[in-house]
Amino acid sequence: MIAQTEYSKEKKVGEGTYAVVYVGTKLSNERRIAIKEIKTSGFKDGLDMSAIREVKYLQEMQHVNVIELVDVFMAQKNLNLVLEFLPADLEMIIKDTSILFTQADIKSWLLMTLRGVHHCHRNFILHRDLKPNNLLLAPDGQLKLADFGLARNMGSPQDFLTSNVVTRWYRAPELLFGARHYTGAVDIWSVGIIFAELMLRIPYLPGKDDIDQIDVTFRALGTPTDRDWPEISTFGTYNKIQVYPPPSREELRRRFIAATENALNLMCGMLTMNPHKRFDPTQCLTSEYFVELPEPTTPSELPKLTPK
Amino acid sequence: MSGTFQTQLLLSRPYLTRAQIKRAQHNTIPDRRVYNQKRLSVFKLLCDICIQFKFPRKTLETAMYFYQRYYLFNRFESELCYDVATSCLFLSCKQVETMKKITDIASMSLRLRNVLKLSPEIVDNCKKRIVQLELRILETCCFDYRVNNSVHIDDILTKIAKDLSLSREVAHLAWIIAFDALKLEILLMVPQHTTALAALKIACELTKGASWPSIRYSLFESDEPSVSEAYFDLLNFFINAFDLSDLKANLPENLRDTGIETFIELKKQAGLEKGLKEPDNIMSDFLLMSERDFGIRERRYVLSRKRLNDERPIKNTAKREKF
Repeated sequence: MIAQTEYSKEKKVGEGTYAVVYVGTKLSNERRIAIKEIKTSGFKDGLDMSAIREVKYLQEMQHVNVIELVDVFMAQKNLNLVLEFLPADLEMIIKDTSILFTQADIKSWLLMTLRGVHHCHRNFILHRDLKPNNLLLAPDGQLKLADFGLARNMGSPQDFLTSNVVTRWYRAPELLFGARHYTGAVDIWSVGIIFAELMLRIPYLPGKDDIDQIDVTFRALGTPTDRDWPEISTFGTYNKIQVYPPPSREELRRRFIAATENALNLMCGMLTMNPHKRFDPTQCLTSEYFVELPEPTTPSELPKLTPK
Repeated sequence: MSGTFQTQLLLSRPYLTRAQIKRAQHNTIPDRRVYNQKRLSVFKLLCDICIQFKFPRKTLETAMYFYQRYYLFNRFESELCYDVATSCLFLSCKQVETMKKITDIASMSLRLRNVLKLSPEIVDNCKKRIVQLELRILETCCFDYRVNNSVHIDDILTKIAKDLSLSREVAHLAWIIAFDALKLEILLMVPQHTTALAALKIACELTKGASWPSIRYSLFESDEPSVSEAYFDLLNFFINAFDLSDLKANLPENLRDTGIETFIELKKQAGLEKGLKEPDNIMSDFLLMSERDFGIRERRYVLSRKRLNDERPIKNTAKREKF
């Protein structure tokens, strides 16, 4: 079927290592869209893996809390991914000091994040790069998981995975130890850290480098022991790290001053050191936190970026 | 036609019937015999590279799918086919997450092709061709990642065997049979789990004391015509080329007397050859009637027919000349 060009690129809005992003319009229905033009020349290893993963995993996923891949097309010799246009992200909201947000707002964003993660995991996909910057916000307030450039299939238990995933501050302890086998629990850890960041409005565990990240993480949450995580001593680096006691409930209450007991329970469930014991998305979604008042804010009523 | 319009919308059809494949190849393969010969030596090359790098079978399987798919819509030239194959393998490594650097794959491919004097310049040129072909291969597959993604013949085969409580002996034999399937066009016709079912069926029939359970293939998300297509394709391959098969070279001890006659007998017992129903509209099928035109400015790829149909009325009225 042949017809007129369907997409227009109107304005360049960003440029990464492997793509240039434009805002444009899908001409047949005037829908605003974002076009990621994948750079193909100059890469010594051919088409970037991130582009491949983005198409591979977004192609079949359809969920209100996961970014929609609208189309894939070649324009002359360039690969273009058409994604839904999402003008803001959670990091912008957290950083914008003129925006006040409530516990109900935090609950709403967390709920939408967890729904997106639950959808990925039930399709056997690990996101592996969850952070506020990758949680995009639609004009109607819906939050959507984006940037699947590091995503991959859960695969077989014997597959070796790389531990060099997830932006440092959101990296789960098993990854800090260099685990080659891990599960969706790495995503849940990231969501737990994002939850803490939403409550604190500053990054919760900002390690300066990979070594410092280990120290920052365990200083805040206690060094895991082989009593609650028996496999931990199999990690080579485990014996070299400083031992910190876990924080008492009272310390957590003082740090997260506005959090309810149920909120702390959920956060601690997501930030459990042992990945086997860490909450899974279903446990998170059925947590008491989402049942108690206040109810999560309706997405359309959530705070938005103030136009500059 | 291509100069007149600016965009083309193509529906991905990852699997085609035998007649559809023949029709598509009619545009792209001038000499079928040369193509078949080269396909075997390409398979050998890919096998050797996979052995050197210790890639799992799924990497080879995906590369063979890409290679055969590529030549459905791109003209076959025997000089370029090894580069196409190397690029298919490079891409398949990315697809199934068995990553390797392009330099390693290019050098290994050249070395195994007995290219004397492997200068950096020769390797660089090979790398350039691999990268150039990579996007074309993906385009030929319509960027359809539903196939060759998480289901591969060898691992689904063991899972099905377990589910059907088949013996380890049968599963192992099927696993060997399935290796030969990677050389066949069946990869382009039915999904991997269907080929696995057919290999298991044959393995059961070859093993004394084992019998293929009468199951509804829908339990395994397949159907009778698809399994039959794979079943007869494998039987025909062993009847025609058993001596060249990897099955013959790897027959278990207790099956040493298996030969062409065994497969002729199996085919006789199976009755009339059946398989996928051939559609009536092959001669009016736009996808198959001409070589793919990669010169069209904007080429869009969709996965669902509904999406294609949804856009059709709008598009037909919006058709216009290129300006």
